[in-house]
Amino acid sequence: MLVRVENLVKRYGDLVALDHFNLEVQEGEIVGLLGPNGSGKTTAINCILALLKYDKGTIDVFGHPMKPDAYESKQNIGIVMQNVAVFRELTVYENIDYFCGLYVEDAKKRKEYVAEAIDFVGLGDFQTFFPHKLSGGLLRRLNIACGIAHKPKLLILDEPTVAVDPQSRNKILEGIRELNRQGTTIIYTSHYMEEVEQLCTRIVIIDQGRTIAEGTTTELKSMINGGETISVEIYLLESERLAEIRQLPHVNRAHYADHLLTVHYDGGEHNLLGLLDYLKSHEIAFNKVFSEQPTLNDVFLEITGKQLRD
Amino acid sequence: MFWHVFKYRLKCLLRDRITLFWTLIFPLVLGTLFHFTFGHLTSDAEGFEAIKTAVIDDEAYRGNTPFQEVLQALAEPGRDQFLDLVIVPAEEAERLLDEGSVVGVIRVGEDMELMVRRRGIRQSILKSFLDTYSQTMNTAQAIAVENPAASFEPRLSFTEEISFSGAKPDTNLGYFYALIAMTCVYGSYWGIRNTMHLQADQSPQGARRSIAPTRKTRIVLSDTLAALVITLGEVSLLLTYVHFAFGISFGDQLGLILLTSLVGSASGVALGNVVGTSVRGDENLKYVVLLIANLTLSFLAGLMWAPMKDMVSQRFPLLGYLNPAALIADCFYSLHIYSTLQRFWINIGVLCLITVVLSLVSAIHLRRERYASL
Repeated sequence: MLVRVENLVKRYGDLVALDHFNLEVQEGEIVGLLGPNGSGKTTAINCILALLKYDKGTIDVFGHPMKPDAYESKQNIGIVMQNVAVFRELTVYENIDYFCGLYVEDAKKRKEYVAEAIDFVGLGDFQTFFPHKLSGGLLRRLNIACGIAHKPKLLILDEPTVAVDPQSRNKILEGIRELNRQGTTIIYTSHYMEEVEQLCTRIVIIDQGRTIAEGTTTELKSMINGGETISVEIYLLESERLAEIRQLPHVNRAHYADHLLTVHYDGGEHNLLGLLDYLKSHEIAFNKVFSEQPTLNDVFLEITGKQLRD
Repeated sequence: MFWHVFKYRLKCLLRDRITLFWTLIFPLVLGTLFHFTFGHLTSDAEGFEAIKTAVIDDEAYRGNTPFQEVLQALAEPGRDQFLDLVIVPAEEAERLLDEGSVVGVIRVGEDMELMVRRRGIRQSILKSFLDTYSQTMNTAQAIAVENPAASFEPRLSFTEEISFSGAKPDTNLGYFYALIAMTCVYGSYWGIRNTMHLQADQSPQGARRSIAPTRKTRIVLSDTLAALVITLGEVSLLLTYVHFAFGISFGDQLGLILLTSLVGSASGVALGNVVGTSVRGDENLKYVVLLIANLTLSFLAGLMWAPMKDMVSQRFPLLGYLNPAALIADCFYSLHIYSTLQRFWINIGVLCLITVVLSLVSAIHLRRERYASL
């Protein structure tokens, strides 16, 4: 177990930021902390990093209690913060070298690491640039390079793609996957459910400082009643046929209005094929077909009664 | 690791153009302004112009050889010329006095007589000279009667500025010493900048450095050394500039001058550290507090009005000893004026004490291991 957080409580005055929060991260995982803004993701990360005082609970990292002077554990942790944490007076190369130097004393080794980090985030052409000359996306990449140059075993990324263009975002996400393939365990916080869904092997959904659900994407989606939803444009559908459709396997409910048949499933596979077979076999003419899979937002909505991006 | 952090801190600070302007360019410009403002006033105020005086050329004057000799000595052309003398008949002397061509007219007699048309400092000086001469002559005559063997040297110089080290006191030097003190204290801007990048609750850079497996003490010392090196460099540049460009003297004890600069710079950086760590609030608030502190300390050290430093040390001596800027200025003044170093060492000692206390206070704040909020 790389990270174990048990019953973590953090209060800001009367506000409970973390309410008996629990987290376990195994080696090799990409764990996503998903929750709306203000749900306690960053607070949890800051507590794990021993930056914040907390009221109750225990935090172990690499099997040892995490404290400000846990230098051995810190040696193997990399952090990419939500706010870009680089020096505006240092160039791209100097920033990466500086932060890498806080972990790696050997100058020769450090030079190799810095070169690899620059190559990894694709900043080779910008090494002599000062941060204010970089675009938002490149700046985020520099922020990531400063966090990964020393080759940490555990990398924590706190909303690393905020305000980043799609091209840089894809580059960043692909880079994170690659780091994981190379053996880095990753904790990734975001309020972008699509990112978390694409990237993470396990997802922890947080709301109001509490863990409200946890599991793989499939596991989380299976926790809710709603499954796939299929909509079909049909000029005319008799009520008898609608009743028969409601009897098809895994159909939860179905209704027909304004020439649109909407069928909600509560699980099952190949539901679309089954429905289309039925329509063909009963010679029911149809036009466009839409299929929607349930999202993590549906999971969040089901559990909390509110949208993830509220 | 120490030198790695130090090297990059030095780069960071040296590339901070705004702070560099206020801590280096501003004092250089201010020094230049001081020179052209006070330097000009000095030559006007202290360059004594010989007093234009007429002496009535009559029998009494021609018969008074000692007085003639005194007048000749005082009218000797040169830097110390006291009188600009004309020996003319009585009518001519009165005409010159009426025209304002002379300040006063001296009629030699048993009692020296001075005629003036108006009151003023030059008239008072002439009167004082004649009174002193008459008293001196009377005394000399009395001594000669009572003790004819005694010799008597007439006094030709009435007052003299005395410097223990042999240097000539100059009130305007106070402005330059206060300026150098201000530059030392402005090291606080480097100190406060360092603290902003040291604390996790003040900047993302501070948070990232707090997460690194490097001991905080090591980072603090590296950063402080970088700030100190820069401040000391700036003070040395200013010293060199005002000395060679404007002839400002600091005495000839180079080692002690450098020691003052070093201890002064250290106290400045420590002041910035304290404000950066102790004042609760955002960066802007901290800078406002520091600006007010620096201006107050510099004002009390005589930067805006040179006599202020002496006034404070006479009326509120404790305040004088608590003000690093005043202590630094006084160190330079002591080195220039006094032949003994007692006052200098007391100032250095108090400065060191202040620096240590300020550093301890900021160390206590920086030792905080975890923050209540970020």
